[in-house]
Amino acid sequence: MKKLLFAFFFLLTHLGMAQTEVKREVVGRDIGQLKGIKISVRITDEITGEALVGATVTVPELGINRITDANGSFELELERAEYTLLFRYVGYETIDYPITAVGDGRIAIRMIQEDFQLDDVVIFGSDPEKNIKSTDMGAIKLSMNSIKELPPFLGEVDIIRSMATLPGVSQVGEAAAGLNVRGGGADQNLIQFAGAPIYNPTHLFGLFTSFNADIVNDVTLYKSVIPARFGGRGSSILDILPKTGSVTDWGGDLMVSNVSGKVGINGPIVKDKVSMKAGFRMSYINWFLGALSNPDLKASQANFYDGNLVISAPISENNEFTYSFYTSYDDFAFASDTTISWKNTSHSLQWKSRLTEKLSLEALGYYTQYDYSIFNRSGINNFDLNSGIRDYGVKAFLTYQFSEGNRITAGADIKQLTIQPGDLIPEDGAESGILPKKVQDEYGQESGVHFQHEFELGEKFGMSYGLRYDMYQYLGPRTVRQYAENQPISDGTAIGETTYEDGEKIIGYDGLGPRVSARYSLSKNSSFKAGYNKMYQFIHLISNTATIAPTDIWKLSDQFLEPQIVDQYSLGFYNNFKGNIFETSIEVYYKDIQNVVEYKDGANLILQDDIETELVPAEGQAYGIELYVKKNLGRLTGWISYTYSRSLRRVLTAYEEESINDGEWFASNFDKPHDLTLIGNYKVSTNTSISATFGYSTGRPVTFPEAKFDFSGNSLAYFDNRNEQRLPDFHRLDFAVNFKLNGKGKFFEGDWTFSILNVYGRKNPFSLFFADEAGAPPQAFRLAILGVPLPSISYSIKF
Amino acid sequence: MLRRLSYILFLFSVSCIDPYNVELEEGQQLLTIDGMVTTGPGPHVIKLTRSDTYGSIYEGLIRPVQGATMIIRDDQGRVIFLEENTEISGTYETPESFSGEIGRSYTLQIQLVTGEVYSSLPEKIEAVPEIKNLTIETVQIPVEGETLFRSGAQIYAEIDDPGDQMNFYFWRNAESTFVLETRPDLYVIRSPNAPPQPAPKACCYICYQTENTGNQSIFIAQDENFNGLTTKIPVAFIEDNGRRLVNTFRTDIRQVGVSPEAYRFLKLVKQQTEISGSVFDPPPASIRGNMISLDNPDEVVLGYFMAGGEARKRIYIEYADLTFNQPRDIIPDDCRVFAGPNSDIPPADWNPND
Repeated sequence: MKKLLFAFFFLLTHLGMAQTEVKREVVGRDIGQLKGIKISVRITDEITGEALVGATVTVPELGINRITDANGSFELELERAEYTLLFRYVGYETIDYPITAVGDGRIAIRMIQEDFQLDDVVIFGSDPEKNIKSTDMGAIKLSMNSIKELPPFLGEVDIIRSMATLPGVSQVGEAAAGLNVRGGGADQNLIQFAGAPIYNPTHLFGLFTSFNADIVNDVTLYKSVIPARFGGRGSSILDILPKTGSVTDWGGDLMVSNVSGKVGINGPIVKDKVSMKAGFRMSYINWFLGALSNPDLKASQANFYDGNLVISAPISENNEFTYSFYTSYDDFAFASDTTISWKNTSHSLQWKSRLTEKLSLEALGYYTQYDYSIFNRSGINNFDLNSGIRDYGVKAFLTYQFSEGNRITAGADIKQLTIQPGDLIPEDGAESGILPKKVQDEYGQESGVHFQHEFELGEKFGMSYGLRYDMYQYLGPRTVRQYAENQPISDGTAIGETTYEDGEKIIGYDGLGPRVSARYSLSKNSSFKAGYNKMYQFIHLISNTATIAPTDIWKLSDQFLEPQIVDQYSLGFYNNFKGNIFETSIEVYYKDIQNVVEYKDGANLILQDDIETELVPAEGQAYGIELYVKKNLGRLTGWISYTYSRSLRRVLTAYEEESINDGEWFASNFDKPHDLTLIGNYKVSTNTSISATFGYSTGRPVTFPEAKFDFSGNSLAYFDNRNEQRLPDFHRLDFAVNFKLNGKGKFFEGDWTFSILNVYGRKNPFSLFFADEAGAPPQAFRLAILGVPLPSISYSIKF
Repeated sequence: MLRRLSYILFLFSVSCIDPYNVELEEGQQLLTIDGMVTTGPGPHVIKLTRSDTYGSIYEGLIRPVQGATMIIRDDQGRVIFLEENTEISGTYETPESFSGEIGRSYTLQIQLVTGEVYSSLPEKIEAVPEIKNLTIETVQIPVEGETLFRSGAQIYAEIDDPGDQMNFYFWRNAESTFVLETRPDLYVIRSPNAPPQPAPKACCYICYQTENTGNQSIFIAQDENFNGLTTKIPVAFIEDNGRRLVNTFRTDIRQVGVSPEAYRFLKLVKQQTEISGSVFDPPPASIRGNMISLDNPDEVVLGYFMAGGEARKRIYIEYADLTFNQPRDIIPDDCRVFAGPNSDIPPADWNPND
């Protein structure tokens, strides 16, 4: 009866509200009290349930303000009347809360972050529990929103550099282009944009990443158990997916910074059917060069640009075609006599189709090209030196979804690779003092078939197992040397040559690459995972420097250089707290790497037809533990990642002249045992946020001289064992402030970003080197790439 | 070339290279051989030193090794004894009459006073083509942080490379002579307690000074890219120090055809002298030579004993040949004070107009 009455009153009051158009909550038990009605209010965060301390309530009718205490609570004393309470808290949506106070009672208010509604500081992907529930290991997806929260480098966010803030991922130093993932070399990462591999995605020799962040939707890094549909690289896959344009409205954006400018446009080509998104970015660094006092730099020129186009056609509900084009170009002329230029171009066409309710197909064809040239115009023996890579391939896979959490993926892929390692063309033809030289082109074919099954057994157990069978052929035309047996490979031990016809198989390799990972959930919020995978890599980066340089040569596996084989074992524990606001993980791994390349001392790699004479096969091992704590939501977001890892190399050879460090394990060039990154982004207000990144790592290995000796008037350093000492530790703090100009009611929205890299100006050595320079004793020198605080500014608008 | 790319980092004026203090362990005292036997006129010189700690000159003093017995043996059993130069210790010389012969192999053998015996691997002398012509180009080198460039004369050799053989070239410049210009008329007597007293001297304004410019740069080439061609290759760099290139400078370019192994060694030396610490530098390489200890095969011996065919050509460089000159030093004294007695008389073979 009481319940009925209550329901009746409830209905009545609500009807009444409907009439007056105001939802007014009746607070308190009505016992006819007129004065001294006590209402206690508690304010919490809608998502996290955290008490909001210091939130204000205003009662306009009485002209009073109250502030919440440490429990997020306060008490109001009111008369029997109608009020409109106003709850406010910085960074949260203001709430108008009309009430009718009739007796003592309580109100629970849950406030929502403005940012959360803007979907802007949520730095998890689509599903906040994915890290716990999925069987994936070591797959990290960063949405552009989260990357954009990082302090920018010279005015812009850098996709590849951002990856190095994650556990297990590092770079050899500032301005180094490549990534080292879990102790692997920079060539062991497959960087693909819209499905097409990109060989050198850098501008200005690695100072910038050549992917325009505005065109990128999300980036996924697979560093542990790599899905079977990916193959061909040993350490990781960096899968960059482009953004598609809007099928309804046209829009665009514009950005200028102190180094470069970019423009983007997107919209419907055919309304509701076909969209396009295009972006173009270019540098105006030449202005700076012209203004510099150093005459040599004044005469230098640096240009770069990159451009993207994505056309997306969801032609029906079940079929979507996407075409992506990417290009990046750089040229750099030093003191105007030598120009270096490089260019990436890729095209890809993807077809996604839902064949039936449960069966879907994804097919992709691509073409990618990387060209690199040096033009020498010094006046004496002018020449052009060209090299390049061309890849084209197709890949397709089917996914059958039995049920949620139970699906099978199977597919195949094939690609053709052509590498032109070097072609020297004297400018003056027959008059020239140098000979033309062309290193033989290399041809290879890589193909693979794969299968993967993911399933769940009950709530607790999930598993994913897969198999990839990789096949590789090294093809003619080519003339190949033979070497005497039981002797080191060198020019002197060559005993003959064999010529292979066009398309003839010279040598082939194949291998089975199993992948398996299993998940056991302890609760909804925590799980254990274990995984194993084996990867084959048939392409090698032949580079005798610590980092990726545009001059690096890529080399296919041949009869001397066997494919790199990587076995990785990993184990992880994942725990999310407070409704997925905090995400934590601990992962350990061990990696065994076969057939990595080391170099003979003083190796001659450029225009080398018989490059096997300069290489020494080595093996590697890497292991480490990675700790990761991430705060996904709130005014303060960010993460802490710490990695302890080792990356070692060993050369086992029967010949003393090829031996490195007496056949013992030694640290690889990128072995940095301790690696810590702290990243924080704090929303000061709706319009302002500040972010900071702090990085610390052990200095990378360096070789100190054992002695000094004199030869031909030079004081020289005698080096014996490689990489036995270390550079001083690396640490750096970066800081950025971002102001958003609110776009409400205006034509555009603007965004100012100020940043300072290396706030306290530490001179982190990129390298220590030993030199005998005129006028000083032979000594050690330090090269610091970012030796001072480096400010930058950028302004972007959306329209 | 790549090393210059490191300058890209200076674009933003944020990069810097500065001396850095590192704690180095005490260096090993390894025997070092530096010498060469060629088909050119003798005496041929072998230097014997011991390595020391890398670091300041005060810490690691490279000391000559004296009192060794040194012989060179050819593949026909002929033995040449080397005499220690009494003036320059640690320097051993062949008889003046001795020159290497094309096609012969030579082995250097050393016995130290302490009894240890060392030997080189045999080095075979290959023929080397003549230098057809020597030309110069003025080169300017910017110096970070300085407005004034370094500059000097880059000497190029024109050679007809023989097409029927692999050639490995190594160039050095022999003793140089230049006209030193001074201002004896500006001579001033300076004493601690009195104001400077002008005391013009009548002589001498012009002297002929000889010097041995130790090669700071290594000039080598392999004919892979120009086999059988007539080509021009940089073979020496004479830095303009405000003195030596103000009138006439003369040097002899020695072109030596070395073995592939010696070339590889020299390439490592060159690579090390050009290291700039940049992102694109190769890792430090272990420079091992062709000397071994007969007592202890594991002992590391540094340096290289080279043998090769030699061609020489002389070049005179006039002030006017350069398109850019350093400000000339004003030396207010008799030039003989610097160049030695009787240096005001040109050498007998001084013939710049030849």
